[in-house]
Parts: sequence; C-alpha cells; structure tokens
Amino acid sequence: MNGCPLSAIGLRRCLTVAVFVAIYGLWTGHSIQAQKPRVITLIPALTEMLFAIGAGDQVIAVSSYDEDPPQVRALPKVGALIDPDVERIIALRPTLVLLYGSQTDLMTQLSRASIPYYAYRHGGLGTVSVTIRELGVRTGHSREAESLASDIDRRLAALRQRTAALKKPRTLLVFGRERGSLRNIYASGGRGFLHDMLEAAGGVNVFAAVQAESVQASTEMILAQKPDVIIELRSTEIPAENQRAAELSSWKVLGSVPAVRSNRIHLLSGRWLVVPGPRVADGAEAFARVLHR
Amino acid sequence: MTSVRRRLTVVVPAFGLLTFAVLLVAPTLGSTPISLRRVFDSSIAWDDNVDAQIFFVARLPRVLAGALVGSTLAAAGVVMQALLRNPLATPFTLGVSAAAALGAMAAIALHLDATFLGAAAIPAACFGGAMVGTTIVYFLATRVSGGLSTNVLLLAGVTLNTFFSALITFVQYLVDPADWYRTARWLLGNLDVSSYTPILASVPLIGIALLLFALLPRTLNLLTLGDDVASGRGVDVATAQRIAFLSASLATGAAISLAGPIGFIGIVVPHLVRLLVGSDHRIVLPAATLFGAAFLVSCDLIARTIMSPIELPVGIVTAMIGGPFFLWLLVRKA
Amino acid sequence: MLRADNVSFTYGQGPGIRPATLSGISLEIRRGQVVGILGPNGSGKTTLLRMLCGMRRPDHGSVTLEGTSLDRLSRRALARRIAVVPQETQLAFEYTVLEMVLMGRHPHLGLFQLEGPNDFDVARDALAATGTAQLEHRRFSTLSGGEKQRVVIAAALAQAADIMLLDEPTASLDLGYQLEVAALVTSLNQERSVTIVISTHDLNLAASTCHELVMLRQGRVIAAGPTTEVLTPANVRELYDVDADVHVHEPSGHLVVVPVTRVTRPR
Repeated sequence: MNGCPLSAIGLRRCLTVAVFVAIYGLWTGHSIQAQKPRVITLIPALTEMLFAIGAGDQVIAVSSYDEDPPQVRALPKVGALIDPDVERIIALRPTLVLLYGSQTDLMTQLSRASIPYYAYRHGGLGTVSVTIRELGVRTGHSREAESLASDIDRRLAALRQRTAALKKPRTLLVFGRERGSLRNIYASGGRGFLHDMLEAAGGVNVFAAVQAESVQASTEMILAQKPDVIIELRSTEIPAENQRAAELSSWKVLGSVPAVRSNRIHLLSGRWLVVPGPRVADGAEAFARVLHR
Repeated sequence: MTSVRRRLTVVVPAFGLLTFAVLLVAPTLGSTPISLRRVFDSSIAWDDNVDAQIFFVARLPRVLAGALVGSTLAAAGVVMQALLRNPLATPFTLGVSAAAALGAMAAIALHLDATFLGAAAIPAACFGGAMVGTTIVYFLATRVSGGLSTNVLLLAGVTLNTFFSALITFVQYLVDPADWYRTARWLLGNLDVSSYTPILASVPLIGIALLLFALLPRTLNLLTLGDDVASGRGVDVATAQRIAFLSASLATGAAISLAGPIGFIGIVVPHLVRLLVGSDHRIVLPAATLFGAAFLVSCDLIARTIMSPIELPVGIVTAMIGGPFFLWLLVRKA
Repeated sequence: MLRADNVSFTYGQGPGIRPATLSGISLEIRRGQVVGILGPNGSGKTTLLRMLCGMRRPDHGSVTLEGTSLDRLSRRALARRIAVVPQETQLAFEYTVLEMVLMGRHPHLGLFQLEGPNDFDVARDALAATGTAQLEHRRFSTLSGGEKQRVVIAAALAQAADIMLLDEPTASLDLGYQLEVAALVTSLNQERSVTIVISTHDLNLAASTCHELVMLRQGRVIAAGPTTEVLTPANVRELYDVDADVHVHEPSGHLVVVPVTRVTRPR
C-alpha cells in the first residue's frame, strides 16, 4: 500500500510508547484513586514531630491543646486525653489516629470503624527518637524521620560527652509555682524526659531519688536539698524581660540555698521546653548553657 | 465552786496546755534533722544557717498557719453544728467553701495573679468568693418573714454548694492543662506558706470571727433545744442565728483563703471534744478551738514526715483520720 | 393576770382571703389558776399559746401581763415572768438532766455570767419538785418519756416564772406518765402557787387538773369559764362532734368525760 505512515520500525516504537503510556497512566491513575493520608493527632508533641519530618500536610485535625507550629491553630480540634471527640474523629475519615496508650475506649471505637491508630506511651528522653522513627514509617517519611532522630541522638550524645568532664551542679528543676510566692512548687522527680534532659545537660537532679515525674517541693525540702542551681520553666504566662527580676525575687527568702546566694536562678520560657518533641535537644542544650556558665 | 466553773477552769486550760506543747514541739520536728542550738545561734550568719532557715522560714510559718486554720475551722464547726442543730454539719455545709474555691478557681483561670494583685490575687478572690456565697445564702434564708429559717438556710446552703461545685468542675474543664494542675493542687489545701504575710493578713478577720464566737456559747446551748424553747428562755433567736452564721462564714472564708479547703477538721474536732467534755458549748467552743490547732498541726507534721523525702497533702491525712473516726462513731452508736 | 383582749391572728402574708387562725379571742388567766385551753387539732390552741407567751404578736387586739402589753417587755423580762413547756423536746446533742434544767436559768444570767450557787439551788429544787432529783447526772436521751417531760417541766420551773404554759404536755405519753404529769401539774399549782395554762385535746386531763376551761373551735372561743360549768355534753358535742357522757367521778371528785358516739355536723 502506498502512503501508509506506519513502517514496521515505527509501529514497534509506537507500541513501546503506547505500552509505556498505558503503564504510566495506570500507575498515576492508581495513585490518584489511592487514599491521600489523613492523620489526626491528639498529642501536641507528636504534632510537632510530624511537621518536623515533613508530614505536616497529612495532619487534618489536632488536639485542643495544640499550638505549635502556628499552622495547626486553624485546624479542627478534636479534644485531648480526657475528652476525645470520638464522633468527630471518625467523621473526619482519618487514615491514622495518634492517641495516648491509655485511651483504650477510643482504641476500641477506632478498631470498630477500621481506622488504624498509633498508641503513644509517654516515657523518658529515649522515647522521643523512637517515636519519631515510628511516625516516619507510618507516614511514609522514614528518611526524614531517621535524619531527625539521629540528629537528636547525636546532639544529646555530644552534649553528654561535653559535660562529662564539667562539674555537675545540683539542680532544682521547677515547672510550676504560684506567682509571687513559693507555694505549690512542682519540680521534676527522678523520672521523665525533663529529668533526662537535665542529666544529659550535665546537671544532677536534687530529686533524682524520687521515683516519680513530679514532686511537690515544700520550702523545707528545698532548704534541705541545697540546690546549686534553680531552673524555672515557664510555658505560659511568660513574664516580660523587665519583670523577670521581680518574678525571681520570691526565691530570696531561702537565703541559705546556694542557688540563691550565688544568684544562679534561671527562668527559661517557651512551650518547646516542656514538650517531649523534636526540640528536646534544643531544650537540653538550653539547660546546659545555664548550668555551665 | 460550781461544776461549770470548775470545768471551765480545769478543762480549758488543760487543752490549752496540750496545744501549747504541740505548737512548741512541732517546728522542731520534720523530715530534716535540725539542731536547735544552731537555730538560735545568732553568731551564725542568716544565709549560712540552714537550720535556722528551716525553722523560721519553712516550719514556723507552717505551724502557725496550721494552728490558725485548725482552730478556726474547729470553732466554726462547733458553731455550725449548734446553729443547724445537726452534729453532721461542717463549716463547709452551707456552701461557703465551694464559693471560696470558685473564687480561687476564677483567679487562677483568669490569671489574676498576673495583675497588680500578684500573690494576693488568689487569697483575695477566694475570700471574696466566700463572702459572695455567704451573702447569697443569707439573703435566701432571711426572705422568710422574721428571723433566719434554719431549714431554708440548710437548703439554700446545700444547693449553693452543689451549684458552685459544678461551676468549679466547669472552670477546670475550660482551662488549659497547666492551670488545671494549679486548680487541682489548690483544692488539696497547703499549709506551706513560707512567709508570715498571709498569716498576718488573716489574723484580723479570724480575730473578729473568734470574738463574735465568744459571745455565743450559752446561747448556742439554748439554740440547740429549738427556736421556740430558746425564745421562751429569753434568747433573741433571730439575732443569735445571724451572728452565728455570719461569724462562722467569716471564719471559714478566712481559713480557706489562707490554706485552701482542708476538710474533716470542722467535724472531727467538735465530735472528739464533745466525747471528752460533754455538750455544754461554753466548754466545747474554747476546747475545740484549742484542740483544732493541735489537731491540724499534728496532722501536718504527719503529712510532712511520713513519706519523707516527699510530702503528703495535709487534706489526705485529715481524711484518713476523719474517715475511720466516723465509722467508729457510727458503730459505737449502733 | 394574763389577759388576751380581742386577739386575732392569721398565718401567712400577702393578698388573698384565708381563714383566720384566731379571731376575737378574749380570755383572762387569774393568778393561781390552772386554765385549760381545749380544742381539736387545728383549732388554734398552739397559736393562742404563742400569743400568750409573746412569741408571736397578734394582728389585732393585745395580750397584757398585769396590765403591761407583752410587746413592751423585753424577751428576757418576759422569760422571767412566763415559762413555756413545749410539746416535745428533740435534742441533737447530749445534755445531762442538770444541764437541761440549768438552761432554764438563762433569763437570769448576764452574757458572760456563769451559774452561781443560787442557780444550782433553784435547779435542784425544781428537780425535787418534779420528782426527778435522782436523775440529775443522767443523760437526757436515756430517760423514759415521762421522765423527759418532767425534766422539761423542771427546766421551765427553774425559770422561776409566775406563769407556766404547757403545750400538749401529755400528748405523746403512755397512760401512766400522763397521770404522773397531771399530778405534777396539780402539785405545782397547789404547793408552789404556779399559775398554769395547759393546751390540750385530752378532755379528762382538762377535767382533772383545770379550774377553768377555754374551748376553742376554728379559732373562736365557744365557751369559757369554770370547768364544772363549761364541761357539758352540749359543749363537748359543739367542740368535737362527739356525743359524750359527762359526770362526776365520786372517788376523785372531778368530772370525767366518756365519749359515746360520733355525730355528724350538718354543713
């Protein structure tokens, strides 16, 4: 036949192209039809981790207490530890729910609705990198997660090494007290990530022997423990620069405490300090800076 | 000498002696051993003298606060029980404590301590709440013609108690976690004042209340017989009830503002004292006031030493003593 | 001595017509008499008693004690002149018998004054008069019904008042104790010249102890005067809608009332 455009070679090329096009089309088509990940998180620390490993765009709803990073403030809120809004959570059709290990009722409800969940168990400093890695796997961001987790591990290890040779001050790590007085002081006990951060930063927790995360410290206990340094953590009601001195003057009445006498009382502020999230290495390094001036 | 006079001059000083002894010994005891010689050794610089600081900054204010709060709540308990003619009444029955607690919750939730009020915000709001609650109950109870109807008083007080308690739970629900912990801690009660200022601030209020109490004892005896009988014996029942209710509320409000709501003192101490001295309020009231101080200071001593190095909230110790005591009372009566 | 002049009283406040609890009551209680106020439940006996001891003020009319209106006397002054024995005494707390009786001395004591030897004498004397001296150190709640009532009367006696008002003194007592109390009332009147007013619905108690009777029905006096004149079958029918036989009981010398049948009052 004269004028037929397809030669034998051209036909083979066209067929190859066609096959490739078909395969490509099927492949992308399948991806489009596949579910885009929708993650609901009830734990602020885990929310931060997700954003830090690049999975922030998967987050569709957060807990009532989430505030970081700023973009989550616009997202729907679905309750928290005590009051998760089960109906709303299920109605949002998530592909993964991050919840607390103790929220067994919620887990049962999610199982019934065939929604996968990840149970977070609050623990010491070590849990942070473990959790980051697990989240990386669950959200398809393993590479970023691995990178972030090992970075944190590396920095903490370096910190421990750096401070190993330094003098380790006895430290009172306070995370709550009444303003303007020394009533209802709550300090870190010998367990939990705050304690671990302090130890990593080369400090010795005066309440290391107490097997609890928090200790209500009376004035007698503080006078008896004689801390060399007092670190106060504030995540809310952070005083302005010109008010800090006034805030810390409440400690003056404990004149025999070494930290008071040598004026080694430090106020560190910011939510990132009290969240066992991706910024724990920053936190530990901040501790180290004030401990080893 | 008549028996009343004899008992008054023997029994009350005996309680006074006991209380004095307890107050004297309590600051010397604690989870940390201290040397009294060092405490009073003025040659040692204040900043070097840990023992003195423990004694004067940590323990002494705490013991004084305990004595004030214990005596006030015990006395208020006696008055309330007489007023309501019910041995199960406590200073907290008529809603004053719930209103006070709500005031404190509001101060915490609204961050009033960030204003010029500073550390005084919570006690001030607490006392204000107590007075508001008292006023509401008082006006509800006096709407009945003539005097103060104790039935309406009880109903109004219990209702307000429930209502305010619900509001407290509501406030706790609304605040963020850090503030939630603060509210929960405050509700446990805390005698560790570490400063004499709050104590001095509450002394005038408590003083007025105790002075008013001092006018009441024989009248309380008669009130417990019934309004009609008391009136027939010459008691101005309406005035007596007003004084009793208002002074007991003032006392309770001041005590809660100082150390938070510490339960069981207002009911255990009056009962214990009555078991020992009978029901004549001229003896029960002063004896309970004294014994209340000794009782709370002792409970606080237990609270701060029994689980050394950490401390128990004093409200737990009073509850653990109060609960079994009442079971025993019930069994004994049955 | 104690007079009520045209006393009227209605419970409740505010608009609306409601039946008067007492209307147009006039009576006189003379010194040394035992006067019974008789009537069925709801006739206004207790209210009248309250008026007579000054616990409530009448809406109209006046109550006077030897010429002085009651509302011009202070509560304490009144308590020294008039003593009231309530129907029942429920105690929330444990008092001893002596403590109970000593409380009757309240109107004689200053604010911070303690009872003196004189007060103790008066109290013990009152206990003796009511035959309860041996119970002095007992706890009130452990006493029998009759003993309790006698102690309460002793407390009223300790008030050293001229007049004693008793509200249904035998209402909750067993027969034996009823007779005890009746005898006590009579002896107090005769041996100690106490003027006594008893409100009761027990016709025979009234008959045996009272010199004079005031019969109340629906807030009005339907008859008043010496017992022998007033306690008639006609008055009993008027008061209680009961046909009764009233006659003199020879051995004791006072009237007895024997109820026979109920009559229905035409509306």
